[in-house]
Amino acid sequence: MLTLPSILRPTRRVHAHCDVPCGVYDPEQARIEAESCYRIIEKYHASTDEHFRQRCVVVKEARAEETKHHIDVMWHDYFKPEHVERYPDLHDVCWKASKAASKVKQSTDLEAAKELLGLIDRIDEMWKGTGGLGKTRLNGRPS
Amino acid sequence: MVALLGTAAGIGAGVAARRWLDVVEVHGNSMAPSLLPGDRLVVECRSFSLRAPRAGEVVLARDPREPGRELIKRVFAVSDAGDAADLRGDAPDESTDSREFGAVPLSAIRWRAALRYWPPQRAGLL
Repeated sequence: MLTLPSILRPTRRVHAHCDVPCGVYDPEQARIEAESCYRIIEKYHASTDEHFRQRCVVVKEARAEETKHHIDVMWHDYFKPEHVERYPDLHDVCWKASKAASKVKQSTDLEAAKELLGLIDRIDEMWKGTGGLGKTRLNGRPS
Repeated sequence: MVALLGTAAGIGAGVAARRWLDVVEVHGNSMAPSLLPGDRLVVECRSFSLRAPRAGEVVLARDPREPGRELIKRVFAVSDAGDAADLRGDAPDESTDSREFGAVPLSAIRWRAALRYWPPQRAGLL
């Protein structure tokens, strides 16, 4: 029997969906891992202890992989098309940063680590310029 | 006899209408402030059997990442080829939409949100 209440009772839910309503993002995560790589490479070159040098390589590769992951999170999850409109080189910078992280993983070249830090700083500028600091951290960065 | 026939026709029309009309309830915040959680809407599937969705229309779409879930979003643009739509929430900071999962094929978009009937103070065409 069709009654008014039965007609007006919703048959299903539709989702005005959001994965994570207040995602926390900060390129500082990538920066800390990349700084780790930088320092490890310095220590690698300063040492003559072969065992220590091997450990440097193993740890540096793991840190570089983490750096890459954190760059990808910024690139794929945080940045939105309107951010690309504002920073047309956004994709290029993130792509280069990802590549630089791979290079740091493969080599013990301090210059490569320096370049990676520079690119992460560019991501940081774009993050700040798109309101990241106030929007994606609970109370900005700890001072 | 006439009254009986009239009632039968009325029920028949109601059943027929029910095939292309439905009522749904909104969950989530991504369409705020236009649609709020708990809003009840009449949706219809007649329009999109005749034509493609247009930019600005509020539509229901099968979630490309979770087919069991039905999304409600606004059409931001229809692809040049006319086979997919870029869907966005009205609240960009609180919406997971085509900016993340890409354009949605029109075959996944059948229903158009036509009007809100609940809450009564915000009732009206969408």
